[in-house]
Amino acid sequence: MTDTLPDDVAPAGTTPRPRRASRTPVVDADIHPAVTPQRLARELPEPWRRRYERFGVRGAPPPAIYPRTRNGGMRADSHPASGPPGSDLGMLRDQLLDPYDVLAGVLIPLQGHTWGAEEPDFAAALCRALNDVLVADFLDPEPRLRASICLAHESPEQAVAEIERRAGDPRFVQVLFPSGTQLPLTDAKYRPVLAAAAEAGLPIGMHLGGTEGHRGDGWPSFYLEQHGWYGNAMAMALTTLVAGGVLDAVPDLRLVLVEGGLTWVPSVLWGLDEAWARFSDDVPWLRRRPSEIVRERCWFTTQPIDEPENLEHLAVTIRQSGLAERILFASDYPHWDFDDPVTALRVLPADLRRPMMARTGAALYGLELPEGTP
Amino acid sequence: MTAGAGGVGGVGGAVDTDTHVAPASLDALMPYLAPFWRDYAEGAALRLDPAQAGAYPPGATAGPAPPDVATLRERVLDVPAPGGVPVRTAVLSATSAFDVSRNPYYDAALCGALNDWVVEHFLDRDERLRGGIAVPSGDPEAAVAEIHRRADDPRFVQVLLPVRGHDHRYGHRRFLPVLEAAAGTGLAVTLHAWGRAGSAATPTGFTHTYLADYLSQGHLAQAQLTSLVVEGVLDRLPGLRVVVAECGFSWLPPLLWRLDKEWKGIWREVPWVRRPPSSYLREQVRLTSTPAHLPTDPAELADALEVIDAARLVMYAGDHPHVHGDGTARLLAALDPAARAAVLGGTAEDFLLGRGRGTGSSTPSHRREEAPR
Repeated sequence: MTDTLPDDVAPAGTTPRPRRASRTPVVDADIHPAVTPQRLARELPEPWRRRYERFGVRGAPPPAIYPRTRNGGMRADSHPASGPPGSDLGMLRDQLLDPYDVLAGVLIPLQGHTWGAEEPDFAAALCRALNDVLVADFLDPEPRLRASICLAHESPEQAVAEIERRAGDPRFVQVLFPSGTQLPLTDAKYRPVLAAAAEAGLPIGMHLGGTEGHRGDGWPSFYLEQHGWYGNAMAMALTTLVAGGVLDAVPDLRLVLVEGGLTWVPSVLWGLDEAWARFSDDVPWLRRRPSEIVRERCWFTTQPIDEPENLEHLAVTIRQSGLAERILFASDYPHWDFDDPVTALRVLPADLRRPMMARTGAALYGLELPEGTP
Repeated sequence: MTAGAGGVGGVGGAVDTDTHVAPASLDALMPYLAPFWRDYAEGAALRLDPAQAGAYPPGATAGPAPPDVATLRERVLDVPAPGGVPVRTAVLSATSAFDVSRNPYYDAALCGALNDWVVEHFLDRDERLRGGIAVPSGDPEAAVAEIHRRADDPRFVQVLLPVRGHDHRYGHRRFLPVLEAAAGTGLAVTLHAWGRAGSAATPTGFTHTYLADYLSQGHLAQAQLTSLVVEGVLDRLPGLRVVVAECGFSWLPPLLWRLDKEWKGIWREVPWVRRPPSSYLREQVRLTSTPAHLPTDPAELADALEVIDAARLVMYAGDHPHVHGDGTARLLAALDPAARAAVLGGTAEDFLLGRGRGTGSSTPSHRREEAPR
């Protein structure tokens, strides 16, 4: 590595030093807010409120299947006096937005990942209420925050309606999908939703999670296995979308693959390009190299950043993806594997790291950066 | 791992670690099936699909896998490997029983018949051949019995498992007796591409394209390798050697990085994983060369091969009759002579062909009472 640490680096795991004007601004592409059941219920109209309070939801979120071994999978210091980590805006400011000079942070509420697969009208009501809470409790009081539109992703009509409802609010900067959908995203039922997002000028943010499904790979026994598999699940979702021609069939579709890793991208693109050339009769709609499509339509996020024994291999691999300008910094606050904005990417040379910290995200999400931002 | 004597400079020839043979139809296996299963197969109009339920359609193969040794000689054994190196040894992948119904007893019967067929039609007829034992993954107890039935035949060097399985990953304790039996008899365990057609390849179900189905093999292999480390199998069975066949290999480094990082954070959940996962996998796993998904740019290719550590981890495979493009030839051409010799034969000689590493009854059993409480 030719690059050295900036002089204001706080060692990982310590409380960051107070904000300094010289620090590089950060656009954080993955912050997880949480909404308590009581708070959500207040936004739910009847009959959904009583249904929610008396019968709950059906879908099992991944942590219910694969328990996290310490602090419920959260940063040990992220628990507010009341409510779950991510539910307290003050703490979010104190632990992330202020100390790291976060210029903009994109909220990704994971509760929508399973709520979006409930009974269609109930799913729509839950997601709409969740979006309403994001506006009232996060976006209105904190101008640095942006949000993802949660939607009933398994129910196209309801999903499109929610996109249309939120598209006029510029603080919603993307449409949220889980990688764990109930059918492959090439299925026709998702097409109107993807098209509505593209027409509204909003990228699809595909975050890992959603409906936990293991088929040919078999069900893992442990969280470590399941968490590692997220990279593969994301890679297979991308492969499915590319092979199915969806990325070219929906005009202006942009796709952000959030928290699915990025070092697997080169080998996936090598495989796609190599096999596409031989299987053209299988995919007659694919008229250009898959890697070209991915480089035009896709973005990736950094967290959890890999730490190879030979750190130079990380930079080599990122350059090989041809997507260095399509990578967004993400912290994943308040989860246990939070990546510190100052230290997490220090293993990368400056020319690779700098655009990831703010510029690439600002360009994707239409945010203005202060003059002189690297 | 250094190049074994047989592989250096191609003096002893190449080892083809994955070449296919398949009965032309179920009729070929009928003599090896008990009357009950002959009646079952006839009554249900079962076939032994040469395309393995869509795994090997005409667009991805050069024809059906050789059904007899004459065809195998003509197409594989007497054809030099890339670079003109003659084939010294070929390891047979008979995967016809990978896609069967969920009936565990038919699974067992079919695997036994297939193994008999491989012995009589191939292993007995050409001394260059080595075999893989087909085992019923739907019935681990029967799989163990099948391994013990064949283990005294030194021509069998591996146990074949479909990388795309049913319900549980291979690290799950239900498969531990199978892996113990393999390690105990000095057989490698080979996770070969494709498998149970009834288990969709992806987390979101059946793919809409062959392209995505084909490319899923590497991901499924990663799931199985992860399971073998994380469930503690590789730690408990240090003599267990695992081969990943026909699933690619360029995905390996990111998997190792990711698992090591996960382990640093989540090791408390799996205290029996006592070292970084990558250290187990680098010692106990090798991958066959075909398909080789690699960059086309020569400089990028050189970088990739260094990151992958191909010279140490990859074993040459012709994978006849499946067609995978020119990746393997480009891989071999890009390696220096010593590395090329290792990939062409040295690594396979040391890792796959040797049956001398059986750990016998000294293999510790995985005792339930040792689980954390």
